[in-house]
Amino acid sequence: MKTSESLLSIGKFIAEYSAHLMGAGVHTSRVVRNSKRIGEAFGLDVKLGVFHKNIILTIIDKETNEACNEVIDIPAHPISFEHNSELSALSWEALDNHLSLEELTEKYRKIVSAPMIHPLFVLLLVGFANASFCKLFGGDLISMGIVFSATITGFYLKQQMQKKKMNHYIVFIVSAFVASLCASTALIFDTTSEIAMATSVLYLVPGVPLINGVIDVVEGYVLTGFARLTEASLLIVSIAIGLSFTLLMVKNSLI
Amino acid sequence: MEIFWRTIAYYNSATWILQIVIILIGIALTALLISKPRPWVKMAMKFYMIGLYGWISIIYYYIYCEERSYNGVMAMFWGVMAIIWIWDAITGYTTFERTHKYDILSYILLAMPFIYPLVSLARGLSFPEMTSPVMPCSVVVFTIGLLLLFAHKVNMFLVLFLCHWSLIGLSKTYFFQIPEDFLLASATIPGLYLFFREYFLNNLHADTKPKAKYINWLLITVCVGLAILLTTTMFLELVPKN
Repeated sequence: MKTSESLLSIGKFIAEYSAHLMGAGVHTSRVVRNSKRIGEAFGLDVKLGVFHKNIILTIIDKETNEACNEVIDIPAHPISFEHNSELSALSWEALDNHLSLEELTEKYRKIVSAPMIHPLFVLLLVGFANASFCKLFGGDLISMGIVFSATITGFYLKQQMQKKKMNHYIVFIVSAFVASLCASTALIFDTTSEIAMATSVLYLVPGVPLINGVIDVVEGYVLTGFARLTEASLLIVSIAIGLSFTLLMVKNSLI
Repeated sequence: MEIFWRTIAYYNSATWILQIVIILIGIALTALLISKPRPWVKMAMKFYMIGLYGWISIIYYYIYCEERSYNGVMAMFWGVMAIIWIWDAITGYTTFERTHKYDILSYILLAMPFIYPLVSLARGLSFPEMTSPVMPCSVVVFTIGLLLLFAHKVNMFLVLFLCHWSLIGLSKTYFFQIPEDFLLASATIPGLYLFFREYFLNNLHADTKPKAKYINWLLITVCVGLAILLTTTMFLELVPKN
C-alpha cells in the first residue's frame, strides 16, 4: 500500500463514496470505475458487488494481499448531476495528486455538504421546462401558462410529501393527479387543453433511472439495471394512475 | 358567453338571500379575527372557509353552472381546495397570526369582493346578471387578502391553487370578455409575489444556490412577465374591434 492509512478507514471511505454516488443517480459502471480509481491511488485493488439497495466491497492491498470487507446501504439522495461530476473529478484528483485520505475526505465532505439548489429556483425552472414541453407538443400560449401553474402546484406538493418521507408511489400518484387536475381547467377554454393535460405530468417522468437502467443493462450490470428499470416502470404506472383519476373524473373516459 | 352570464343570473336570483348571510358571517369573522384573534375565532374562520369553498364547488359550479361545459372540473377544483381547508383545520397548519407587513394591500384585497359588483354596475349590467361577492374570483381575492393579513404561516399549497385560479382569471378576461377579472389578476400578482418571498426567501443572505437575492430577482421577473401579459390582454380587450 502506498500510504500509512489503515485499510479499514480507506475501505470505509470508498464504501461511503460509492454509496453516495449510487444514491445520487450515477450509473453503476461509473461508480465502480471511480471507486477502483481511488483504490488505485492508494495502491489497493477494489472489488465491488453493487446491488440496488446495498454495495458489498472488498479492498485488497496489492503488496501484502491483506483484505478488508465492507457492506453499506445505499442512501436515498436526490438526483444530483453536480455530485456526479464533482465526485468523479475527485477520484481523478486522488489519483493524479496522490491526495492523503484526510485531504480526500475533506474534499468529499465539502462537495456533499455544499448547498443544494434552492427549492424555489427548482420549482420555477421545472414549471418553465414543462411549459416548454407543452409548446413542443403543439400547445398554445394559454395552455403553456396553465401547464406552468399546474406544474408548480404539483411539484410543490411533491417536494412537501418527499420532505415528509412519504411512499414514492403515493407521492407520484397524488402529484400527477393534482397537476393534471389543475391542467384540466384548460378544458373550459378554446385552447389545446388535451396537450396541457398530457404535458402537465411530464415533470414526474423518472428519466434518470430509466437512462441509468438501460446503461447498466448494456454495460453488463443487469441486476442493478433491471432493478432501476423496474422501479422507474412502477413510477410511470403511478403517474398513469394519477392522470387516469383526473381523466375519469373530468372526461368520463381515459381517452 | 351567453351561457356564462345566464348561469350567473340563475345563481344570483336563486341564492341572493343566502349570499347575504354568507357575506355577513364573513364580515363578522374577519372583524373578529382582526380585533380578537382567539383560537375559537381562528377555527371558526377555517370552518367558514370550508363552507365557502364547498358552497362554490357544489352550489355554484355543480348545481347552478350545470349548463356550462366541464362544470364538473371546476366543482372538483374547488372541492379539492375545500379539502385542503379541512386538512388545515385538522392539522392547524395556518396559524392566522398577524404580521402587519402588508396591511394596506391586504385591506384592498379584502374590499375587492365588494368592488366586483360595482364594476359590473359601472359596465351597465344589472341584477341578477352581474358579479357578486360570493363568486369564485371574489372568494379567491378575499382569501389572498385574508392570508396576506395573517401571513405568519400560510398554506402554500392552497396559495398555489389560488395562483392557478388567478391565471385562469387572466385567461377568462380574454376568452369570455369579463373585465371584472382584471381586478383579481392585477391584485393577486403582488400578493402572490409576497407569499412566495415570505415562504421561500425569508433570508435573502442565506447560503443557497443560486443566492437567494438572484432567486428573488427571478421571482420578480416572473411576476413582471405576468403583469405584462395582463396589460397586453387588457389592451387587446379595450382596443375597439372592427
